[in-house]
Amino acid sequence: MLNILIQKELKSIIVSNKFIVTFVICSILLIMSVLIGINEYKQAVTQYETVHQMADERIQQVSSWHSVSYREHRKPSPLMIFTSGLSYDIGRWSDINSRSTVKLKNSIYSDDPIFAVFRIIDFTFIVQIIFSLLAILFTFDAVNGEKEQGTLRLIFSNAVPRTKYILAKCIGTWLGLLIPILIPILLSVLIVMLFQIQFSSQEWIRLAILIFISILYTSIFVVFGVFMSTMSRSSNVSFLLSLVFWITFVLILPRGGVMASGNIVSVPRIAEVEGLKVSYAKNKWEEYYKNMNDIFADSRNNNTEEDEDISDDMMWANMKAQDSLRKEVTRDIEGNEATLLEDWENKRKAQQHLGFMLSRISPAAVFQLAAMSLSYTDIDLKSSYESALRNYRIEFNKYIDKKSENAGPGAGSIMITMDSDKGMDLKVGRDNAIDVSDRPKFTHPKVQLGKILPDVLINISILLLMFTSLLGGAYYSFLKFDLR
Amino acid sequence: MLENNKQVILEAINLTKKYDDGVVALDNLNFQICNNEIFAMLGGNGAGKTTTINIFLNLLEPTSGDAKVCGVSSHIEPLTVKQNLAYVSENVMLYPNFTALQNLDFFTQLGGRLDVSKDEYREVLMRVGLAEQVHNKKLKSFSKGMRQKCGIAIAILKDTKAILFDEPTSGLDPKAGYEFIRLLNDLKDEGKAVLMSTHDIFRAKEAADTIAIMNEGKFLMKEKASTLFDKDLESLYMQYMAVHGLKPTTEGV
Repeated sequence: MLNILIQKELKSIIVSNKFIVTFVICSILLIMSVLIGINEYKQAVTQYETVHQMADERIQQVSSWHSVSYREHRKPSPLMIFTSGLSYDIGRWSDINSRSTVKLKNSIYSDDPIFAVFRIIDFTFIVQIIFSLLAILFTFDAVNGEKEQGTLRLIFSNAVPRTKYILAKCIGTWLGLLIPILIPILLSVLIVMLFQIQFSSQEWIRLAILIFISILYTSIFVVFGVFMSTMSRSSNVSFLLSLVFWITFVLILPRGGVMASGNIVSVPRIAEVEGLKVSYAKNKWEEYYKNMNDIFADSRNNNTEEDEDISDDMMWANMKAQDSLRKEVTRDIEGNEATLLEDWENKRKAQQHLGFMLSRISPAAVFQLAAMSLSYTDIDLKSSYESALRNYRIEFNKYIDKKSENAGPGAGSIMITMDSDKGMDLKVGRDNAIDVSDRPKFTHPKVQLGKILPDVLINISILLLMFTSLLGGAYYSFLKFDLR
Repeated sequence: MLENNKQVILEAINLTKKYDDGVVALDNLNFQICNNEIFAMLGGNGAGKTTTINIFLNLLEPTSGDAKVCGVSSHIEPLTVKQNLAYVSENVMLYPNFTALQNLDFFTQLGGRLDVSKDEYREVLMRVGLAEQVHNKKLKSFSKGMRQKCGIAIAILKDTKAILFDEPTSGLDPKAGYEFIRLLNDLKDEGKAVLMSTHDIFRAKEAADTIAIMNEGKFLMKEKASTLFDKDLESLYMQYMAVHGLKPTTEGV
């Protein structure tokens, strides 16, 4: 019985125009998006390799250890072909040296803002928006359409249990939609293979999970459409209802969750934090200069011309005090800076956590978060890269300090020393390039599948819960549906 | 007492249906339909004819009383009852993107017959008057009469003890109407119990063994057609309606 009903659903979809239209739309969109994604990825790889090579060449031409600086680039992930996520928004490189702090700069969108206006359509976008909409278009009249058509009475004049009918509606329509979306998905994967994009085994697994989640996400809208079609006698009403819910859950709620969290957890803007940092530092330095003036004024008042030896001692003591105070102020400012940043980071994380939690009421948000996390193009991409770069900077600077120390005074630069006994001395360093071949190499942060799996499983569970709830809703609603 | 080889197939026992808004659709309806028998319910719109059929199909639950098919209550064991029931609606609507054969195949399988061959489908379609060249045509190109024939073919293929017809001749041209009556008589001869609701007095008189005039959920009159043979059914219908202060529907008159 179930089999007969499923076959009929499948057959009626396959012979309909919507099947062909869906297949054509999905094929064109997915293939185009993957081709664009491959092109973008290849460009990103070429750029990464070229710039890396240039940075290597540049560092080899440096003649002073003090001026050694390296520019480390973010390595593009091949999964950005399917889920670009934040990879176009986040900066691509950061300078590594002792002078500047780590900060990823120059994102693709900041270089070419035109792409930010109409953002790139990738696989995730197509699934999130197009597939969900198609699923609704396939199912909004699944039950009440049959009633309007007049076939529902005839079906239920046979010994058909309602459970089997509603299950067959869901499964049959799901299969009918799966064919025109799965074939283009597989074609896209084939294109990626044909273009010889290197995927590691972990990346293949991630892609397989991404496809699974995409199908699960689309299934939610299939069941949702069937549910809506049991809620009203008229297919026009169920279409409007479905559209309103789709707009709410796909377009509004993901943004709404983030906006609500922004109002609940207040996070100061980074400019405000910078302002607080500067103001604190300014106050501290003013205090320092005031203290120093007081110390010097005291010493001037206590100093007499006859007491020259004592005066020299006092001067050294003052200089020591000045140095110690300066170090203390610097430590204090750095400590305050770290506290402010940590506080800001904690608030930002709390806001982000709450925002994502609230957004998860929408299947679209759950899907997007899971897809970005799987493709390693999520919100953690920036922080994990910057954290890895900061660690690398420490290692790099240690290396430079060590090399500089071993190279002796000058170390390739001009060194001026002043000594009260020896007087002033000026040394010019070597004029040939320094050897940096043994410098520490940056390890690109890689999030292992095992690490993100719990989060992905949570997202899958939420999607499954939504799916079963809607299926239950469709079943319960159909039990009360007037078949006449 | 039933005649030899007669068996009650369809039975309404004090069948009552009251809606939540207080409207009484059926009021203590009682009738029996045996095999080889055609029972016609005549009446205007809202008389309760379709409600009766809906209760037999378990598309509606009775407020009280029972509708039984082969002794089984339709609202207690609906799935068992439906195995013995075929239904042809007023305006047979099938799947427009399926061909006649595909529609037949689906509904026949749904009716529980999985062993029907294509030849058998074609044979039944020919029997109901659908020429071979339309068997593979999509239903969307079919006229109402052709769809009606498909519906009857489905009912024939289901091969049940009882068939329910809801306004079967409504909108059919005279030729199609005549062919339908011929088919109905064939089905009766095959032993089916037929319950038919109709506005069409002449077709009812032509085919039915028992005729009931129905209004507001009650039978105003229920007679054997043989006893009505010499009477003018039309006058009787008008008379009953007039007595009860009703405006009759005179389709087919």
